[in-house]
Amino acid sequence: MTHILSALRAELRGIFADRQVRLIILAALVIYAVVYPFPYRAELLREVPVVLVDLDRSTSSAELARRVDASEAVTLTHDASDMIQATRLVQERRAYGVLVIPEGFERSLLRGNQSPVALYSDASYFLMYQRVMQGAAVPLRQMGAEVEMGRLIAQGTAPDVALAQVSPAEQVEVPLFNPAAGYATYVLPAAFVLILQQTMLMGLALVATRRAQGHGHPVWRVLGRMGAWVLLYALLLPMYLIVLPTFYGLPNLGNPVVVLMLGLPFVLATGLLAQCVAALFRHGAVVQVVLLALGLPFFFLSGFAWPVEAIPAHLNVIAQIIPSTPAIDGFVRVSQMGASLSELQFRLWHLWGLVGVFICIALWLEMKQRS
Amino acid sequence: MLAVMLREFRLILRRPALAGLVVVLPLVMLLALAGIFRAGIPTGMALVVVDLDRSELSRSVTRMLDAAPELRVREQALSLSEARALIVAGHARGAVYLPPGLERDIMRGARPEIVTFYDNQHMSAGSMIARGARNAIDTALAGLRLSIRQDQGEASVQAQVSSQPIPLQAHALFNPAFDYVHFLLAALVPTVLQIIAAAATAYAISLDFGPGRHPQVLARMAGGVLPAMLGKILPYTLIFLLILGLSDIALYGWLGVPLRGSLVLMAAGAVLFILSVQLIGALAFVITRDMGRAASIIAVITAPAFGFMGLGFPREAMSQLAQSWGAVIPGTWYVQLRIDQSLRATPLDISLWSVVWLGCIVLVLGVLVLIRLRHMRHQIEVGP
Repeated sequence: MTHILSALRAELRGIFADRQVRLIILAALVIYAVVYPFPYRAELLREVPVVLVDLDRSTSSAELARRVDASEAVTLTHDASDMIQATRLVQERRAYGVLVIPEGFERSLLRGNQSPVALYSDASYFLMYQRVMQGAAVPLRQMGAEVEMGRLIAQGTAPDVALAQVSPAEQVEVPLFNPAAGYATYVLPAAFVLILQQTMLMGLALVATRRAQGHGHPVWRVLGRMGAWVLLYALLLPMYLIVLPTFYGLPNLGNPVVVLMLGLPFVLATGLLAQCVAALFRHGAVVQVVLLALGLPFFFLSGFAWPVEAIPAHLNVIAQIIPSTPAIDGFVRVSQMGASLSELQFRLWHLWGLVGVFICIALWLEMKQRS
Repeated sequence: MLAVMLREFRLILRRPALAGLVVVLPLVMLLALAGIFRAGIPTGMALVVVDLDRSELSRSVTRMLDAAPELRVREQALSLSEARALIVAGHARGAVYLPPGLERDIMRGARPEIVTFYDNQHMSAGSMIARGARNAIDTALAGLRLSIRQDQGEASVQAQVSSQPIPLQAHALFNPAFDYVHFLLAALVPTVLQIIAAAATAYAISLDFGPGRHPQVLARMAGGVLPAMLGKILPYTLIFLLILGLSDIALYGWLGVPLRGSLVLMAAGAVLFILSVQLIGALAFVITRDMGRAASIIAVITAPAFGFMGLGFPREAMSQLAQSWGAVIPGTWYVQLRIDQSLRATPLDISLWSVVWLGCIVLVLGVLVLIRLRHMRHQIEVGP
């Protein structure tokens, strides 16, 4: 027991006495909490600028333009006389879409023919593309449906029958969770987990590279260190995953107890992984650079932003070794989707499994070091 | 200076840590990133159908959903709450609800609702689910709509024409194949390289200018502190340019990302980008004179840089302050230049500005490093 306690004290001293480790584990956590969310503070994309090329210049084309302009997603900010001029505005990033109403739009509408309009939207930015499409498609479909109903009614069909013919069933799409499609709500809960993991890996690996030979049996030493991490992160993890998201006004459906239940194996697995990383790279500077570079790949491997269905199987196997893969998924499902512990048991077992594997490696490293 | 450069190359060969950082690490990162995104668009994302109608029509809708490449109907759920639980636990990404009496109501013209629920917390997958389901249901209903009309005696062509008076011809500008995968990859490579190049440069400099090292030897060898510093930096410029070139060959050659712009401009941008990133590393080191603290500065600047580039959430929608911060980071301009010159075929007079900005960043950082070096020169030449 005394061996465990002295290892625990030594680890805490290693963390708090070393200026650089303090900088990473505490200061960097604060700085990242400010810098990472910074680009996403606006949350929503509204009033995306779109160029109008109205070649018809009729009442109907003006009506269509007015409806598109009224949508929340887009605004018609520029008028252009042709596609060349309009494309240039998009290339300058002053607009993200072009709505072209061709000549003869009204005439063919009145004749009862199909009267297509063209929407060019900037597909080099996924989110912009989606918004422009949404913004134009809904008013277009509405106006189309009204025109068709008008025709059917003119042919003598009863209005409600006409509507049923135009669209036999109503399609409703209901987003579960993050209904407003806020970008901060989407990305921050996952990013916070990754920041926590990366700073912890970096800081604890540095401690490990600078550690003097300890006393007592390797098992007590490793257990003592694990105690130190749990003590420290019992404070930091709830701050980062519960208090900070609340501060940014992110929705929180999660039960704090579930967060802590996931947090325990997450902290242990990450701390133990840090011991392995330290043994692998040895130099403090190298450890830092490698972990810095790994942040983005870890994020995309976790299957959060980039769906796991698209990640090749062999890479997905490697991804399961990284604590952030089950942790990001687990924490996001708790806090954003209100998942219960039983719904998350796979991630929980996954994290405890990692703890089991890493503890064996850490013990082996510790024994090897002693001999 | 040349002597210092040659010495540096020998140093890289002798020191496995250095060689690992500047050669192995970037190559492994590139392979990993290419591996993640190589497969392209996700397919077979799990969907639950809550079919309370159990009619010919509801089965045909289910078949259409399953036939969509991005979707896979995982199972039938008996109720909405069961479907919701499956989504929360991660067994499915969405659910389609077919209400009881669907077929009968459609035939009666009562316009029943078909509801698609999708997990929008995982926004990228969620929006693909929603789009896939919408198209599949539309296809299933379109057949039905035509048959209703033909029953009423309209000619088939006429029926088709009047069912959509204002069809939308949607065109994807610049990216007709909807290939976000390669687009993302083209931006992620410089982002990761930005981190590695800045940190590795600082590390290499620390090996000679750090505490306990002897920079005066190097300065004597090169004939001054400035040539000594240049001699330390330039070998890595060459190495990172080579790695960037290699990844571009893979990207534009092997993966077939379109390249529709000026190669000269791209090359000029690449040189300025690598130089400016290295200067960030050099500046961080000459300010702190300590690799640990330099690494922390580099981490704060380069690690969150991806968000500020505006690939996910566009820069134009960010606050002024966030836009300005993004403008200071070289990667923002270089990634913009790459997208402009590869996908968007932007005219040179617009795209030139990205290169000009990169040049300005190099200039400012260069001057700052010079100022610091003048301070250091005295100490170094006199010796500690």
